[in-house]
This record gives sequence, structure tokens and C-alpha cells, in this order.
Amino acid sequence: MKSLDPRVGRLPEIGEPGIIKPKVTLDQFGSFEVFVQPKEGRSFQHEGVVHAPNLELAYILAKETFTRRNTCFSVYVVETRDVFVSPLTDGTTNAYDLISDVASTGILTYEIYHLAKRGKQHVHAGQVSAGSPEEAMSEAKKKFNSKTIYNVWAIEVAKIRMTSSEEMDYWTTLPEKKFRDAADYKGGDKLKTFLEKSK
Amino acid sequence: MYGGGNTFEGIRTDSIALEDPIKLAEFEARIARGEKIEPTDWMPQLYRKQLIRMIEQHGHSEIIGALPEGTWITRAPGFKRKMALMAKVQDEVGHAQLLYSAAETLGKSREQMIDDLISGKSKYSNIFNYPTFTWADCCFISWLVDAGAIVNQLANAKGSYGPYCRALDRICAEESFHLKYGHHCVIYLASGTAVQRQMFQDALNRWWPPMMHFFGPSDKISTHTEVLMRWKVKMGTNDDMRNQFLDMYVPKIWELGFTIPDSKLKKNAEENRWEYTEPDWEEFKRVINGDGPCNKERLEVRRIAEERGRWVRKALSSPKMEYVTPLA
Amino acid sequence: MKDLPLKELLYKMADDLLILGHRNSEWTGFGPLLEEDIAFSSMAQDKVGQSLALYTILHELGEQAPDTVAFTRNANQFHNCVLVELPNQEYDFSLIRHFLFDTADSLRWESLTKSSYIPLAQLASKVKGELRYHTLHANTWIKQLGSATEESISRLQNSLNIELPYALGIFEESIYEKEIIESGVFPGEKILKAKWELKITEVISQTQLQLPNLDSITPKIGGRIGKHSEHLQPMLDEMSEVFRIDPTAEW
Repeated sequence: MKSLDPRVGRLPEIGEPGIIKPKVTLDQFGSFEVFVQPKEGRSFQHEGVVHAPNLELAYILAKETFTRRNTCFSVYVVETRDVFVSPLTDGTTNAYDLISDVASTGILTYEIYHLAKRGKQHVHAGQVSAGSPEEAMSEAKKKFNSKTIYNVWAIEVAKIRMTSSEEMDYWTTLPEKKFRDAADYKGGDKLKTFLEKSK
Repeated sequence: MYGGGNTFEGIRTDSIALEDPIKLAEFEARIARGEKIEPTDWMPQLYRKQLIRMIEQHGHSEIIGALPEGTWITRAPGFKRKMALMAKVQDEVGHAQLLYSAAETLGKSREQMIDDLISGKSKYSNIFNYPTFTWADCCFISWLVDAGAIVNQLANAKGSYGPYCRALDRICAEESFHLKYGHHCVIYLASGTAVQRQMFQDALNRWWPPMMHFFGPSDKISTHTEVLMRWKVKMGTNDDMRNQFLDMYVPKIWELGFTIPDSKLKKNAEENRWEYTEPDWEEFKRVINGDGPCNKERLEVRRIAEERGRWVRKALSSPKMEYVTPLA
Repeated sequence: MKDLPLKELLYKMADDLLILGHRNSEWTGFGPLLEEDIAFSSMAQDKVGQSLALYTILHELGEQAPDTVAFTRNANQFHNCVLVELPNQEYDFSLIRHFLFDTADSLRWESLTKSSYIPLAQLASKVKGELRYHTLHANTWIKQLGSATEESISRLQNSLNIELPYALGIFEESIYEKEIIESGVFPGEKILKAKWELKITEVISQTQLQLPNLDSITPKIGGRIGKHSEHLQPMLDEMSEVFRIDPTAEW
């Protein structure tokens, strides 16, 4: 294809222009929820979703999709299917009031996330031990119900691809990548010199 | 990067009459008190439909918007520009990813969105249908088109739909680097050699008309949708956004000693509105409907990219996969 | 004069990283999946960033400024291996190159953490995390695609067969090989190549790809002494097109 972009000029001829082959279902795979810990000591927070063929690739792709900027101390991913979700409330209704009390029968570990305000991200509240997601919600109610929360998530730790201790150095050079920071493009002095010269 | 443009042209509001009036009243009360709508909330059909359309088109604008600047990605002069442009174009792809994910929460699959882009069914910001002839054209986009997009995005970030607001918060943070980088590039061209100054002046002459189209048709000829404003889907009129942009950036362009190719352009201080030559809305219509200099190329590049990647995606698909709507 | 072995090492590393980073950046916006597009572009930025750090060390040793060195030299003055200058093909080509090169580069940087030349040892320590991610990415893609479908396996195998002779050119020895080893700056290409062979064998053995006997392959060398393929000069011309409008101008 002739183009001003030399890369486009090098693109292969594939298929036929204008003939669209519609995508098959799951061409873009399923989704994985991504959780980021911005600084050491701060809580993990939900950041968004990646599409990926499996958990390991979801981790690898999430690392760049969600932690290539700003600061990051750690990241983890879990398949959307494995996040258990409470009812969503509004106004003055506490989601925990809609969660039934269930006796705990097991010792799986669950991460619990809270939505403190609609429009914000879910933030990590802590861990509970339970035999099922429903039990985990009930345990969370006992442990973390201190103020009005609009939504609760429970995620079994075994389903999560965490960052291992050797992998913490992925983000060592992040603070130095100034070429992606607004602060590295201070045109003020150059502008000032130019304006003075133009007078 | 997205200017709103003609997203809301030609919409029909008759479906509202068919909605449950009690649920509708609760929904509108929630928006009025500033509480965000989240994916599992009840919402009117029209709200869902218009949000999908807007967010999806915004996503398409990002992935297509990566192409005019991508034209110069292999030729950026010097390490500082090279690395910045690589990061900036990457961010456009990243923004598409964030926006498609937000639109997915409303029930449309990413597969369908990509198909609709490539087939021409869904639109994207018209400005990307124009060619970046020189490095200075690339800098124009990095500075002023991004500036326009930020005006729009900052407004939309205060909208009613949670997932879109969250995506926009992230996008606005990254755009601040884009804007500063773009302005930095233009300051260097302005204060550089005669060749550099002229390169930007030429680019400005070419890009000013599409820039005036960026925020969509003027209020007097575009559809007014009071309900979309009430539902905080549309956050300001096209002319309001355009005036905000002119307020913020015309002085900065003039400050660098460049001439904007519109002799009528001036601020009417009493009315607090900019006066300018009425943009050619017939051209805008022509280009957005497929007859611009780069429309065919932009979509063909996307079609080829998807085709080339098909074997990769096919290889890694597995019967264990199941699609579940993203949560937030 | 005693700096020559060191400078040569720095130049060849920096040139490898700049050229490969540039090639990989050509995929930005064209990738097979949005998320992978983003990841591949990030790694390309890392590579260019690492090359800049190396050119900066060279500048401190008296060489010209990084922009001048990168944007005004001609092909016969570059010391990258020919592997990295080859034009992009389909995604299997770039993934295999990413796997073959990054495995070697990661091992190279690792050995440099103990370099007697402190600035290089410090830089090597710093970029460990970046290389860890690059190799995780490469190994995962190769392992998954290398065991997936007939098409993905045959594509990867084809690229592997084409690229292996060029990959061996990474380890083309320098005329200063003895000095660089004796000075403690770098343990030398032979040791690096041996470690690399073990590593790639380990990964490939977890796929349905075949790794031919490397001793039976004639390495494609010459890059380290400025003898390049016909692809490098056009690439450099493109890369420096705007810069050369006025090399004295500030962009």
C-alpha cells in the first residue's frame, strides 16, 4: 500500500481490501481482572481488565497494560469468572446488609475488595478464610463491615497469578523512565528565550 | 484522542416512552445527585445504546489516532523525540484497550466493535482521515489535536457512567505527558531554524480546517439532545468545547509567532465567544462518510493488522475459554 | 588506547539494542492483540533506553553525543549483529528474534553485573528487572505458540531455522576478546554462547519445535566489524530522515 508511513508501505498483501472476515467468538479471548499495588505498604486496587488466552499471559500483558507508567510495587491477575460479586447498592444501603450470614466450613483463602464510592475503583480490604465464595462474603461481613460499602468482591487466592518475590525488580527502573513524564517536557525556558528574542 | 464530533447526530428518543417510569425516575435521580451508574444497574435502552456508541467510537479514535503519528515513529529526530513518540503512540493503543473494555461492560463484545470499525459501520474522530506529510504535521497532532481531545475528555470524565469515568481518569493522566511533549516539540520548531518554523507554519495551514471540525458540527446545525445532557452522557455543546479549546490554545499558537489561516479569527470579549470563519460542514460530512484523503488507508491498515494476527489468536484459543462481561 | 576493548563492547551492545528496539517499535499499532501490542512496544522502548544509557557512557569516555552517534553514522560504522537489522516479517519472525536475542542479552547483562568497569556493572544491576520481564515474555510466547497449532509450530520452526545462523553472529568474537576478558570487564563471547545454548535448548525442549545441532550451522557474521546486510543502510536512512534535515538543529 502506498502511504506516507514507510511501515505501511512494507505491509504484506493479505486477504482483499474491503473484504472483511468477521471475527469468530472469543477471537479476543476472555477477560482477566487486574489489581495493582501502587507503592509498598499501600493496598492493592482494581485497575481494569486485560483480554488474554490464559492466566500466565494475562499476567504478562497486564504488567505493561497497567503498570508501565507512574509507580508500581506489585500486580496480580485473576480470571473475571473467578471474581465473586455481591449485590450493588446505592445511596445509604450497605451491600453487606444484603449478604447472608453463612457458617464457614473450609479454609481456602479469599481476598476481599470493597467499592467505597460508585465511580471509584475497588480497593483491597483484607483476607478471609472460608470454604466457598458465599462463605467468604459472610466472613468478610464479620471482619470488614465497618461503614457503608456499595459492592464486595471475593477472590480465591489459589486462582490468582501473583507477583513472586524474585519478580519485584520488574519495576526498578520505572521511576527513571522520565521520557514518559510530563515533567520532562518543560518548554518554559526555551519559550521564554524565544519570546525575548522576538521582541 | 476524541473530539465527540458527530456521535449524537440523528438519534431517536422514542424508546424512552417504553421504559418503566419508576425505574427511569430512580435512574435519573441517581444521576442528578451525582452518583455514578455502574454496569449492573438498571438503565434505559437509549442510555446503554448511546454510551456504547460514544465509548466505542472513542476507542476507535484512539486506535486509528495512533496511525497519523505512527507515520513518523521510525523517523523521530533524536533519542528524546524517538522514545517519547514510541511511548505516545503506544498510549493511544492503550487508550483503545481501556475504552473498548469500558464499552464491553455495557454488553457489546470487543470482536463486534473491531469488526464494526473495519467494515466502516462505526465512526471515529474525523481528523485522523487527514495525512501527516511532515514531522511538523506529527507535532501538530501531538500538541493541538491532543489538546482538543483533553478538553473533551476532561468534560466527559465528569459523566455518569462509572467505567467510562474510570477509563477517562487514567487516560487524562497519560494525556498530560502527550500535551506537554507536543507543546515542547512545537516550541523547538518555533524557536529553531527558518526551515523548522516554516515546516510548522505549513502544517498549521493544512491542519487548521480539520481542527475546527474536531468538536463536531456547530450547535445551530447539530441535533440537540436535552435528554443526553440530563443523563450526563453529553457534557457540553460542540460550540462550548470548541470555544474552550480556542480560548486555551489560540493565544499559545500566536505567542509562538505563527499565523492561523483564518483572518476572521478573534475573541469577542463582550460575548466571551470566539468569532471565526464558519467551517465547511459539507466537507466534514463528505470526509466522515468515507471520502477523505486517508479513510481507505486507515481502515485497510486495521484490516491487515487483524488478518496478520489471526493465526496468533487462533493458536492460543482453547475450548476452556468462556466470555464473561468485564466487571467494572 | 586501553579504552578500545571497552568502547567496542559498549558500541556493539548499544548498536544491537538501538537497531532491535527500532525494528520492534515498527509493530506499534499493528500487533496481533491490543495488550500484546502494548507489551511489545514497552520492551522496544526499554531497548532503546538501554542503548541510550550505553551511548551516554561512551560519551563520558570521550565519544560523541548519543544523538550524533546514533543518527549520523553509516552502516559500515555500526557494530550490531546482522540478526537485529533484518526487516520485520510476520509476528513469528519477531517473536523468535526476541527469544534468541533477549536470551543472549539477558545473560550478557547478568555477567556484566560483576564487570570491573563500575558504570557498566551499575547499569547492568539496574536493568536486571527489565531483562527478567523480556525473557519471561519471550519464553512464555515461544512455549505457548510452540506447542499450540500446526500453523503456529511450523511458523515458529521456519523462523527459527532462518534466524539461527544470524543468532550465532551475536557471539562473533572481537579482536580485543583477550583484553576484555583479562581486564575483567566481560567474560567473553565463548562463555556467553555456551550459556545461551543451554538456555534456548531448555526452553525449546518444552515445545514441539526442533533445535538443530548448532555446531552444524555456519554462523552469519560480519556485523561486529561493520559488514552488514543490504537492510541496514536503508533502515538508518529512514531513522535519520528528519534529523538529517539539519543535524545542527534542535528538535
